[in-house]
Amino acid sequence: MNTVAKLFNPIVRFSPFMMMALLLIPVLGGLIGVILPAFGWIPALDQTHFSLNGFQQLWQTPGIGHMALLSITTSLVSTLLAFLITILILASYFTSPWLGYIQRLLGPILVIPHAAAAIAIGFLITPSGMLSRLVSPWLSGWDAPPDWLYPHDAMGLSIILGVTLKELPFLLLMALGVLAQPDLGQTLRAQHKVALSLGYCPMTAFFKVVLPSLYPHLRLPILAVLAYASASVEIPLILGPNNPPTLAVAIMQWFHDVDLSLRIKASAGAILQIQLTLFVLACWWLLERLVSQFAKPMLTNGEREYGGAIIQKITHVITALMLTIIGLALVGMLLWSFAGFWHFPDALPQQFVILHWQAASQQMHTPLIDTVLIALCATAVAITLTLLTLEAEQHSGKSLSLLGSVLIYLPLLIPSIAFLFGLVWLLEQVNSQHTFINVVLAHVLFVLPYVFLSLASSYRRLDPRFSIVAASLGATKAKIFFRIKLPMLIGPIFIACALGLAISFSQYLPTLLTGGGRINTITTEAVSLANGGSRRISAVYALMQMILPALGFLLAWLLPKIIVKNHRQK
Amino acid sequence: MQTFASTANRSNTTSTSELTIDGLILSRQQQHLLSLSATIRGGEILTIMGPSGSGKSTLLNWLTGMLPAGFSAEGQLHLNGQNITTTASHLRHIGLLYQDPLLFPHLSVAGNIGFAMPPSSKVQRQAAISEALTQVGLGGLEQRDPQSLSGGQQARVALLRVLLSQPKAILLDEPFSKLDSQLRQETRQLVFDQIRQHQLPAIMVTHDQTDADAAEGKIISLDKIN
Repeated sequence: MNTVAKLFNPIVRFSPFMMMALLLIPVLGGLIGVILPAFGWIPALDQTHFSLNGFQQLWQTPGIGHMALLSITTSLVSTLLAFLITILILASYFTSPWLGYIQRLLGPILVIPHAAAAIAIGFLITPSGMLSRLVSPWLSGWDAPPDWLYPHDAMGLSIILGVTLKELPFLLLMALGVLAQPDLGQTLRAQHKVALSLGYCPMTAFFKVVLPSLYPHLRLPILAVLAYASASVEIPLILGPNNPPTLAVAIMQWFHDVDLSLRIKASAGAILQIQLTLFVLACWWLLERLVSQFAKPMLTNGEREYGGAIIQKITHVITALMLTIIGLALVGMLLWSFAGFWHFPDALPQQFVILHWQAASQQMHTPLIDTVLIALCATAVAITLTLLTLEAEQHSGKSLSLLGSVLIYLPLLIPSIAFLFGLVWLLEQVNSQHTFINVVLAHVLFVLPYVFLSLASSYRRLDPRFSIVAASLGATKAKIFFRIKLPMLIGPIFIACALGLAISFSQYLPTLLTGGGRINTITTEAVSLANGGSRRISAVYALMQMILPALGFLLAWLLPKIIVKNHRQK
Repeated sequence: MQTFASTANRSNTTSTSELTIDGLILSRQQQHLLSLSATIRGGEILTIMGPSGSGKSTLLNWLTGMLPAGFSAEGQLHLNGQNITTTASHLRHIGLLYQDPLLFPHLSVAGNIGFAMPPSSKVQRQAAISEALTQVGLGGLEQRDPQSLSGGQQARVALLRVLLSQPKAILLDEPFSKLDSQLRQETRQLVFDQIRQHQLPAIMVTHDQTDADAAEGKIISLDKIN
């Protein structure tokens, strides 16, 4: 304990810098590793003079405009839809117990990896999917699967459906998190009551009183969703059109092409991707300005009713529809994983077999172990750095600067497709041959921000008087940290661990790129199986992707209870 | 029928305004909380006193139609002869004044009051707001951010917001408890004067004896349960 106590303070003081370095060096280094090749500088290909060839090749790519447009429209439309439905649900159920039920139903969706969600949605809308089976033949008259292009339609409607359904729970839970903040939430509810007592119908009261105060807290999550949607690859890869795909998917294909000279074009594409993401963010900002300018005079015009009852009915329908789609997608996937022979218009398979699970479990062995090991390592690093950084904050008595808190979220805000390739190049330069460590490092970039986000508020809210009392009893800072703070925060720490594991399980691009094909996880396998191969095996992998994080959260919920109970019995 | 009654009431002279609580029994999961019957005429202030946990806030929640799940109520509520026991909160025309002013942070002082006023032309509304602000000594503060006002000024804006929404009755939930004693007395005087001037039936919940004395009305004391 003595050496720990001596080392503890310097380690704590050093850890914020360690954390920043671990986040900033890979991201900035990765960006440089993309910018240089974009302008023609790739020593590996004997290209060492700067030129704009990459950008010229990019412009000459057939369908490049279409790709960019597809990325822009799908991300803007799906974010807008997810936001609107979130607001409608909040407005309609603001004072109703249904808000809690919907939260509990949608909560688990949050930890389903994007790839698994996309596979489930794909199964639902594919010509022989659950949706066409349920209406055939009694309604549609189809005896054979219909001839439609979903889920790979050229307009990207499938992508929009997938992203909307996946991001809606995130936005809703973010909003409910804001409303659960003791001060703000109570004030907003009280102000809603005031508006009701002034004769405002509940719906109007929400839009005129609650939303203007709530929205600023939602802006960052919305922009994060938008940035992610504009540059992600998992959902467009599984639900999007192939020719041309979205820009991010195209960039990934160029980078992976056997023709290494395409890397220059891919790097130029990554630069375009960053501009495209900035462009959609600017579009949202502009839209926000316009709406707020237009709505401002309406706030105080005294109108108390805008057809709230009708909007509420529409919201009931949308909510029910959404929950049905999600439910059907999950049931469909479960059925596929056990399906034997399954004749087309039948809603249920003729026979149920466990063959696919047996077959998959044999192939799955190594990827499963790698998935869990990588996740455990990345989460351990993230939790340790987060706790020490939060402790350093309390030692120095000042919380992280605004710059610092923005930097933590940098890996989430910058399109990962734009810096991960550079990161791979960077790792090659420093000759890091340990693929496993490289993958863990890449995962930490995405796990750390979420773990920090999840732990920071409970750590900062812990009553400081416990530490003061302990210190007055002669406890060192190290002892207070290990014996007072950590045990008191056991619940939040386990939840943050489960979240970290879930984020790591879901990583596709970082694993694929830094793993260099040598390390496969359940997620990379699921994505490659989703396009081609057996639908039944693919369903098993997608279900495994959901079971893993669910197990994590189950343990995070159970373990603290068991530990606390054992402790009390001693 | 109801529309007719409400128009008739609105056009009536204020002298008939009256809030009646008829045989109210409030309980929480079968456990009896309080029983109350009372009639409050326009300009009268009924004071409800009692320690915390005696059901004061439950009573206010019932009066505003926001009784939370787990509570049940028997009895009826009449406002100006109309039975509003089951009327939705926002159609009751019962104004609320809390201990916190709860001004909307995204609106200016004038915006907060304008929010409460019935729809009319912009010019009329602005004139009415300025006149009301001047009357309570806040002239010229229309465009200020409510958070930049002092506690006493915020309390006065909250009062104007309720009054200009033209309520038919008003509920005061410990309305002065966050103000220091000098300010408390002034604000209390202003609120009570306005209630009497507008001939509104009012119910005030408080645990301060000086509030109760200043109200010069009937005082009902609730006992703590258990």
